[in-house]
Amino acid sequence: MIGESGSGKSLTALSIMGLLAESLEPFGSVTVTGQDGRHTQVVGTAEGDLAAMRGRDVTMIFQEPMTALNPTMRVGAQVAEVMRIHRTVPDRHTAAARAVELLDKVGLPDPAEAAKAYPHQLSGGQRQRVVVAMALANDPALLICDEPTTALDVTVQALVLDLIVRGVEARNAGMLFITHDLAVVASVCERVLVMYGGRVVEAGDVQQVFTQPRHRYTRGLIGASDLDLTRPDGRLYTIQGSVPSAGALPHGCVFRNRCIHATVECESQPRWEGSGPEDGFACWHPVRVRDAQGVGGS
Amino acid sequence: MTVPAAPQAEGMPSSSPASAVPAVRLREVTRDYRRQRTSMFTPAPVVRALRGVSLDIAQGQRFGIVGESGCGKSTLLRIIAGLDQPTTGSVEIDGTDISRLPERRLGFLRERLQLVFQDPMGSLDPRMKVRDIIAEPLVSQGKRDNLPRVLELLEAVGLQSEAADRYPHQFSGGQRQRISIARALAPDPRILVADEPVSALDVSVRAQVLNLLDELVERLSLTLIFVSHDLSVIRHVCDSVAVMTRGEVVEVGATEQIYQQAEHAYTRALIAAAPRLRTALAGRTAADLAADTLAAKESR
Ligand SMILES: Nc1ncnc2c1ncn2[C@@H]1O[C@H](COP(=O)(O)OP(=O)(O)O)[C@@H](O)[C@H]1O
Ligand code: SF4
Ligand SMILES: [Mg+2]
Repeated sequence: MIGESGSGKSLTALSIMGLLAESLEPFGSVTVTGQDGRHTQVVGTAEGDLAAMRGRDVTMIFQEPMTALNPTMRVGAQVAEVMRIHRTVPDRHTAAARAVELLDKVGLPDPAEAAKAYPHQLSGGQRQRVVVAMALANDPALLICDEPTTALDVTVQALVLDLIVRGVEARNAGMLFITHDLAVVASVCERVLVMYGGRVVEAGDVQQVFTQPRHRYTRGLIGASDLDLTRPDGRLYTIQGSVPSAGALPHGCVFRNRCIHATVECESQPRWEGSGPEDGFACWHPVRVRDAQGVGGS
Repeated sequence: MTVPAAPQAEGMPSSSPASAVPAVRLREVTRDYRRQRTSMFTPAPVVRALRGVSLDIAQGQRFGIVGESGCGKSTLLRIIAGLDQPTTGSVEIDGTDISRLPERRLGFLRERLQLVFQDPMGSLDPRMKVRDIIAEPLVSQGKRDNLPRVLELLEAVGLQSEAADRYPHQFSGGQRQRISIARALAPDPRILVADEPVSALDVSVRAQVLNLLDELVERLSLTLIFVSHDLSVIRHVCDSVAVMTRGEVVEVGATEQIYQQAEHAYTRALIAAAPRLRTALAGRTAADLAADTLAAKESR
């Protein structure tokens, strides 16, 4: 899932977890299906009944590893605890042994010793590895990653991305990967959702969306992200203006006040064109194939 | 490869006779920080933030400094800007050694060199109107009646003149970065130093701000020193680059040259690790990124 800040990516993730702030009231439905085939209807289910789903069927990794870690608890014990809470291991001893095994799998050097460390004794990249171990410990059906590598150095990011993808593939789990970095999405995802102004404006296969975007915002975002492609004057392609705050979005097409292709039609909300929620776009004047400008376009 | 990757002035493109004096010349600059003592019986630990940095930045050059967090980029910038002093070594700006000058004799530096930071909100006083923020460097030079200059600067950075009477919080992140660029340009500096100026911005706004910097540097013939953790941004903006790790410059030279044929293992790892849209769409996965990064790190 891509989109600039404030487009609603994190709120979407939190609504899947049933973790929206009290002040926010969700409508619609979210169904989570666990590895065991059990369904949970997230919207409308009481907090206490969601606890079994969170941390087992769906787990989440955030940008800042310390949001998931307890600073006063050894990291091995924290990994063991998530398994004990959901009773995915028979006893204490097994949990501790399995925690060390998981820390080994996520590439912490000397995992038995690392298990005894407190979070502050680890580097940022190592802490995020511990969080990955915790998120994968109960073999979830879905792993949600909200900008998990944005705070990491680029060489550490490469290793942590690899770790996440390998962990997800080994478990046959699904992954929702949220980032503003298009190149990261293209490296780790098969499908992509483009969000803007609280709506999914385009969806589809990564290759398709990035090489032949249809929505005008998607096209603008790709153009502005691409530092290898410049206008004839050597400058970068841009989108005019900036993302409005949630209360200040225009009615109709939410991108209307920044779109150079906007017409009066755009004052009413564009229909979703496509085979279903998995593939389509909502734009009155989509990019035509012949002037499509995705990656490598001219 | 024939050009040796010496972290020295020798690797730099030669400058024209008219600008024989480099805008910035660093020689063997070190900076040690003393950490808090942890015990009464052991000496305070020393952090060696810079370990002998030598660099020449020619007049009119667009010079990038790239490296990961904690490598010493910001310490180096603070020293170049006269906001901090080196432990040893010399720092010349337009031929004048500033490394031992007392604060009161750095006035010339404030005219010649100005800074733009990553977080425009943190560097703009929330209680001041934009007109006063932009005029601040002029006021500290004793200049009065600065409004015409403020309006000229607002136009130069693409903001309406009404912006003058508003406060920083009334602007978006990108507009605030425009305000800090206007303030930096107020005293008509020759050197503009930018520390991660687009790292906190959304991509659509990043492109706007990079274009603005590009245009201003060209129009005003500025020397630009641009610090970033992102080599692809540096590649777009800068003609030369220094690669830093652990307080040292390990490689310096023409950006394109380094991008195509990096000499140092660390530079190669930086390039290998950065995901790129085109190569990712051509099939380069996270596993490839990781494997290439590790291979580059171990190469020599
Ligand atoms: N608890 C909240 N109450 C009201 N508005 C919120 C709350 N959380 C987020 N928002 C607003 O909802 C929009 C989407 O936010 P978010 O999902 O965090 O975006 P993203 O993750 O894409 O950056 C933003 O305009 C944000 O300011
Ligand atoms: S619907 Fe109209 S305003 Fe919205 S993106 Fe398409 S052309 Fe632009
Ligand atoms: Mg977010």
